This record gives sequence, C-alpha cells and structure tokens, in this order.
Amino acid sequence: MRPMNLLRTLALVAMVAFATTGCAKKPVQTPPAPPVETPVPTPAPTPTPPPVVTPPSTPTTGLPIDKATLGKLQVVYFALDSDAIDEGAQAALDGNVRVLKSTTGDFVVEGHCDDRGTAEYNQSLGERRAKAVQQYFADQGIALSRMSVVSYGKDRPAVEGSDEHAWSKNRRAEFSLPK
Amino acid sequence: MRRLALLIAGLALIPVPIARTQNAPADVKLEWKSGSTARLPLRCEPFAPVGDRDARTTSVQGDEVLAADLANSAVFQVAKSWDPNSSGSAPQFVTGGKWTVRGTQLKLAGELRDFPGRRPLLVKEYAGPVAEWRKLVHRFADDIVLQLTGEIGVAGTRLAFVSRSGRDMELCVMDFDGHGLTQLTTDHSIARSPNWSPDGSLLVFTSYRGGKGPQLWVMNPANRKPFLLSGRNGINTSGIYSPDGQRIACTLSMDGNSEIYVLDARGGAPSRLTNNRSVDTSPCWSPTGREIAFTSGRSGNPQIYVMDSDGGNPRRLTYDVDYTDSPMWSPKGDRIAFVSRTGAGFDLFICRADGSSAQRVVSGGSNENPHWAPDGRHLVFSSNREGALALYVTDLDGTPPRRLETGGRKALSPAWSPRP
Repeated sequence: MRPMNLLRTLALVAMVAFATTGCAKKPVQTPPAPPVETPVPTPAPTPTPPPVVTPPSTPTTGLPIDKATLGKLQVVYFALDSDAIDEGAQAALDGNVRVLKSTTGDFVVEGHCDDRGTAEYNQSLGERRAKAVQQYFADQGIALSRMSVVSYGKDRPAVEGSDEHAWSKNRRAEFSLPK
Repeated sequence: MRRLALLIAGLALIPVPIARTQNAPADVKLEWKSGSTARLPLRCEPFAPVGDRDARTTSVQGDEVLAADLANSAVFQVAKSWDPNSSGSAPQFVTGGKWTVRGTQLKLAGELRDFPGRRPLLVKEYAGPVAEWRKLVHRFADDIVLQLTGEIGVAGTRLAFVSRSGRDMELCVMDFDGHGLTQLTTDHSIARSPNWSPDGSLLVFTSYRGGKGPQLWVMNPANRKPFLLSGRNGINTSGIYSPDGQRIACTLSMDGNSEIYVLDARGGAPSRLTNNRSVDTSPCWSPTGREIAFTSGRSGNPQIYVMDSDGGNPRRLTYDVDYTDSPMWSPKGDRIAFVSRTGAGFDLFICRADGSSAQRVVSGGSNENPHWAPDGRHLVFSSNREGALALYVTDLDGTPPRRLETGGRKALSPAWSPRP
C-alpha cells in the first residue's frame, strides 16, 4: 500500500501531468450522470500505462460460463489498503483471461477487504478492487457487458480471524455468477 | 515511510493546528465537562405495591429498572436501599413512590426527594397498561434527570444495530437498556450502517438484500416493510438523515468512484458534494445541517474532513498518521467522535468541531462505529474488546464501557435513536 499511496500523494502534490492523464481511464460503467470521475485501477508503479488494447466487444464463441469454469479462475490478492494490481495479481489475471475467453456469458467480479479497515470505507475499497480487475479484463479484451462488480467490504471474509494469514487471504477479488 | 508521507501531506495542505490524536494520552477525563464529573449520590427506595399479587411482582422489577436507568444516565451514583451490597456516600436524593395495579392498569406515583430533608422535588403520576410498565418507569427516570440537570434523560430511547449469525447480518432494534430485542429483517443477507430519521419513525440502512450489492433501504421498524431508497449503479452506502429529515447524505459510486451525495428523503434528486479520485464516504451532518463531516482518502490514507452541506469549503479535520474514519457529530454540535487505527485495532476519539483537542476515550480491542446518545453524554459503539463482537456504551467520564446484552448475538453497527 505505502509505495503506491506515497506515489499518489507525490503525484497530487506535484500535479505531475501523468497522474492526471496517464492513469485516467474511460469510465467503466455507463452512469446516468456525466462521467466526471473514474476509479483509479492503478496499473503497477510504472509511469507509462500498459498498452491498452480495446478491441470491439465481439462475443467470443465458447461454452456458457458455469460453476466449473468459475472454479478454474484464480483469486486475485491485494496489498493492504490498496487496489493496485501487482505482479502476482497480474499473473493470476492473465490466467483468468485465458479461461474467460473460452467462455460466453455474464459473471460478477467481487471485491473484498480484510477486517483492519472500517466497514464503510471497506465497502468503497472493495469496489475499487473489483473495478481494477474489471478494467484489467476489459483491457485484455473481455467484453465489459459480461461483467458486473459487487463489493462486500469486510463482511464476506474467505478466512475468519484477525492475523496476517487471514488478512492476506481476505484482501481479494473473486468471481461468481450473477444472481 | 509514514513520516515522509505525513511530511508530504503536511506540505501539501493548509497549516491548521494539528490534532495529533495518535499521541493523545489514554486519559479519559474530558476537560469539556467543565464542572465536576462526579455523579450525584442517589438512593433508590422500593416502590410500595398496592393491589393484587401482580403489583408486588412488577413493582420489584420496576425498582430494578429505575435504578438501572438512573445509573445508566451517568448523572447519578445509585445505591439501592434493598441491596445491602450497594453502599456509597450519603445520598443527596432519594426516589420512591406508589405502584398501584388495578386489573390491567398501572398507576405509578413517582417521587424524588432531597436528603436528608426529604422535601419533594418531583411528584408525578404515570398511568398506562401494566404490560407497558417499563415505559412508565423510563419516563419517570427521564423526568428525574430533567429535574436535576435541566435536560431530559435518554431512558426512553432505542438502539438500532446489526446482529451477525454466521454469514447473516440482520437489522435489529432494542430498548437502550437491551430489553425488547426485535429482529427487523430476515433477509439472510448483509445489513449495515442503520441511522434513524430525526423523528425516530424510520431507519435508513445499507442492505445487500436485493442481490445487487449494497443498496440503501428505508424501513419503519413498526411495520418492518423496507422500501428501496437508492439502488443506483455501484455502491449505495452510509445513508444518514439531515437534522430536518428532508434529505439523506450517502455514499454512491454511480459516477464511477465513491463520492458523497445528498438525496431527498424519497431517494431522488441526487446532488454530488465531493469530486476527487479517492474514496469519500461516511458522511455525518452537523446538528444545524449546515455542514457535513466525512472521511476521505484524498491525502493518501483515510482522514476526516468537514465541508459545507452544499459541498463547498472542504477542510481537513484530522492529521493522524494512520487510518481515521466514522465521524459522528455530537448532538450539541461542539464535538466530533471518530475512530482511529492504533496498532491492530481502532480506538475511539473525540475532538472539538474544529479538530482541536482530540482525546482518546476508548481503547482496547477494536472499537468501531461510535454513535452519540441524544443527550451527548454517551457513545454506543461496537467492539471485540472481550472477544466476540458486542455493543458497548461509554459514559465519557472515565468509567469503563458497559456491554449491552443482545440476547447472546454478535452485534455491530449501532445507532442511537432520538428521544421518543
């Protein structure tokens, strides 16, 4: 968390141009109001944004996504107070992209937090994590229309407990089928 | 690293007096209670039962409830004349009276007298169904507090909260003393963050009951029928009524990022108050409705800010090194309670409305979601200080927080109702 937050703070203070332009993304949702702001799915601490390929949302041929496919998707983990996609997360996501491209149908990206934050702030943080994952998938050619995001804050831990092990397993994004 | 971050934050922001809550002493004696914080010694004498056998049974219960109400008021040091173990200094006041039951009706003739003169200070009758004897006792207790402090007590108030059983988090309500617990939802979903309307008739809360993530719902606890207040795209959380009940401040992410909005009381006409790429959440109105305190990550980690209720003039209130959230403006407007992370858990703090004089008031375990009693004398909060998540009340006078009985359920997210 600290390096990224520090970087962000620095960027804010100095009003460095790339912070306002380089990190800006297209709005991931289609809100009724004008897209004034976007979440910051910060793509690793490199000043240059990754090559953003935005292919047209052509429906991929493949089997409809189901529980079995979901089971092949890797959980994506985050650092404390962070929604940044680090190397480990990227590797997991790249694997997930390959699985998802062989399927059709909608799925949900769930954002979760550990219990070291407050409930309300974690609801927002969980959404940023889910949206960072959604944006990564979209950049890799998964149709935005297939994805929805839900944040569960700290209320659906993967592992009960208040220790390093539980915390690291609970700061995550995982995947489910729409209800 | 942290020091550097703080330095940068300090450079970047306005030179405001720094509220170093991190280093605040763990002393809980609050200077703002300018007078003595000592409680008034009062002795409860048993009510004299008149009527059938029922009268004796209920009057004994009434004795205990009155003594508990007066002790919980934090105004009195209560001794029970029927309890040989409750000693204490010589009382300044005594309570008692007549408890008359006729059929299904109760008449409580309550008396408050000074001591040792025993001159009457308050003599008042309360009548109603025997079944509602607790209400009558609570009203008597509140009148005693009014008589001796000039401000009515909070014995007639209720608490909304969330109970957790396995994965289910359900909305509940109970009397301020833990009696009469009622579960309001059976959604087998997640309920969170209830807040009362200023007239006490409605609760706004966050729920995942629709299956579409966190949405804002409103419920009248009397009929338990929730209606959807805001189910906009993204998160809909942290709803809180304005003091006039006409508007609801909340957190929405319909424009992409968590921002603070104000809706009308039916959930329409959203007006956006914040605009930055960090998380903004946990809004709370000042009692005048002119300002809103909230939490923002704009300085790198969550800190508390205040803005005008139209979103103008945002200014930073806390300068903690670590995570700070859950601002709650005191009913008189002079104080703001909040939580700040120290080590593994959160401690409760209170500062002045300008951010100065931050004092740690509760530590030990992790303490969250402080909510003021309407008299500003107490805070209810959730804590794991004794293991399981439970509700506690601190009287802010150095006495240890007391745990509220919630029927053996894990309890969190409390909200103190206005007076009836």
